[in-house]
Amino acid sequence: MMWLGWALAALGFAMVFGQYAAGQADIFLSIANPRPLDEEAMVVTLKGWGFASAAAQPFVTPESDHGLCDVRVFATRRQMLIGIATFGFLRPVTIAWRAHAGILPLGDA
Amino acid sequence: MPIVKLGEEGRWTNYHCTGTCDAATRFALRSGDAPRGRDEIAIAAKSVQDWLVEAAAAKRRVRPLGAGWSPSNVNISSQSWLLHTRRFNRCFRINADDVRPGIDAGALMLVEAGALVDEVSDKLEEQGRSLWTSGAGNGQTFAGAAATGTHGSMIAAGGIQDHIRAVQIVTPGGIHWVEPDVGVMSDAFIAATGSAPLRDDAMFAAVQLPVGALGIVTALVVESVPKFLVRPIQNLRKVDCAALDWLAEGDFRRFSAAYALDQDPDFVQMIVNPYKPFKRPAMLRFLYREPWRDDYPRATPGQLGAGYDALSLLGRFLNDYPWARGALLQFAMKQGYASGPDVDAPPVYGSWGEGLDTHRPLADLFNASVTIDRADLAHVFEMVCAVYARHGGSTVVTLRFMERAQGLLAPARFAHNAVIDFDGPRSQRTADAYARVLERLDAEGVAFTRHWAKSCRLDALRVAADYGEDFRRWRAAQRRLLPDPADRALFGSEVLDGLGLTC
Ligand SMILES: Cc1cc2nc3c(=O)[nH]c(=O)nc-3n(C[C@H](O)[C@H](O)[C@H](O)COP(=O)(O)OP(=O)(O)OC[C@H]3O[C@@H](n4cnc5c(N)ncnc54)[C@H](O)[C@@H]3O)c2cc1C
Repeated sequence: MMWLGWALAALGFAMVFGQYAAGQADIFLSIANPRPLDEEAMVVTLKGWGFASAAAQPFVTPESDHGLCDVRVFATRRQMLIGIATFGFLRPVTIAWRAHAGILPLGDA
Repeated sequence: MPIVKLGEEGRWTNYHCTGTCDAATRFALRSGDAPRGRDEIAIAAKSVQDWLVEAAAAKRRVRPLGAGWSPSNVNISSQSWLLHTRRFNRCFRINADDVRPGIDAGALMLVEAGALVDEVSDKLEEQGRSLWTSGAGNGQTFAGAAATGTHGSMIAAGGIQDHIRAVQIVTPGGIHWVEPDVGVMSDAFIAATGSAPLRDDAMFAAVQLPVGALGIVTALVVESVPKFLVRPIQNLRKVDCAALDWLAEGDFRRFSAAYALDQDPDFVQMIVNPYKPFKRPAMLRFLYREPWRDDYPRATPGQLGAGYDALSLLGRFLNDYPWARGALLQFAMKQGYASGPDVDAPPVYGSWGEGLDTHRPLADLFNASVTIDRADLAHVFEMVCAVYARHGGSTVVTLRFMERAQGLLAPARFAHNAVIDFDGPRSQRTADAYARVLERLDAEGVAFTRHWAKSCRLDALRVAADYGEDFRRWRAAQRRLLPDPADRALFGSEVLDGLGLTC
């Protein structure tokens, strides 16, 4: 029976480690013909297993009137450790985005 | 007012996080909606001039910013006013009566300085035209890319600044329209842009590559060629050491015949692992130019090999796994590259702009390079790789080719140039290994120059020695544009002062 306990513990550890590693993946989404401005980022913390979410700063960017060019979603190592240590109750995620400079039609000089 | 303030004083970090401007006040220059380009740039230039005067009155230095891509920190200045230009990005076609007699207006386009190279490429393609060269990515602004002499590996072309035919540049004392002696735009057009004409070959050659030290570039007239198609071939091949002799002699056809198509290539690039460069397969990229036809099968940027620059490739792998550097290099090269269209794959085609992309942000990269006389390649390249690897340099080494580029401060100053790039994850050992390469080149008496945008350990003495008489002519042009020493200091920064460009 002892070995079964160890095997389950190893499996559990592997599952948690897998989540820890995969959670740091950088998910990147971009529009087709981007004209990016500087990257900005904020941390959104999902609370109570996703029942509530709170951004550390409001979602504003001074230059976003032409929309966004791309968005990256990822967790840092520290953010993943917080998620694991709180059994997923707190799940901080970083969202980084670049606003769009806009594409204006060709004019006449 | 096309200039808006972005928030309060704070920090701004450049694209590769190699430098931070502390206590910076950020402003953005934005395009307006004037019906004619000349009216729009007249309004913008006047606002920029007023802004410069205000900055001087506030005792702040200024720094114009493109995409912030230069890891050499020529885009960094603390306690300064920063001017973001990427939203000043309209392009305008030029009519025959806007130019001087004998000038082909159809080949020219008026570009606001913050337009990305990608935008310029797209707008030219709309008119059946194309740039003839650019860098490995196209997310720089046109003015920013030209400011540092950005180049690609089109073997018969120079730098991106070679496309420029006229420049509108603003200083606290004036709005100047700089062209070569022969002139390009009509006097009436120049007057309508609110600028004073300055037709002078040396001045023009200075502002083609200003390194951000001559004023704020607000607009450029960019020349183009008829649109063309390129067929990429991209493969991993073990390259024979003897092939370096062919490259050094400019026998690109023979190199292409050995490793890709038996045709004259227009673009040749080789990326090697400096640990045994001729024993391990190198990543080769060739482009073959063909006349334009509308019915070519469209390919995605990925199929055309976009993102082929060593930065993207290595950043993806080694940014995340710094402990695995040496051995992982070859694996990374294979994974990131093998998918390109090889000789026996069905051919894919694209326009010049379609084969490039705007890049996604990657921090902690090291970029440096040396530009040498191509004739020195055969005896220099192996030595460079050996020294770099021996001292722990852990990036790939890229070899690119170009002809002499325009601009007094163009690093590509040999008749035929080979550029050796060191691009990859940043570490002190890699930076030290690059420094050892420089020492060795000096010890061997090999002439070389360095890229203004990269982490190339340049200083004022070396700049003056490398560029000699051209540097003196560039400084003379600077004194004409900015006769007041206080105005020259306005464009200074720790880095530019250190290069001897602004003090
Ligand atoms: C992913 C990547 C790929 C690259 N590939 C290549 C390559 O293939 N070949 C190559 O040669 N280089 C390459 N580079 C270097 C790059 O091309 C240069 O750093 C270029 O100068 C960046 O342009 P930018 O618009 O970001 O300018 P910035 O870095 O913002 O500015 C560069 C300089 O120009 C000045 N400047 C900018 N705009 C103006 C203006 N309107 N008026 C006056 N001065 C201005 C700035 O003050 C600064 O001194 C690459 C860099 C990156 C990050």
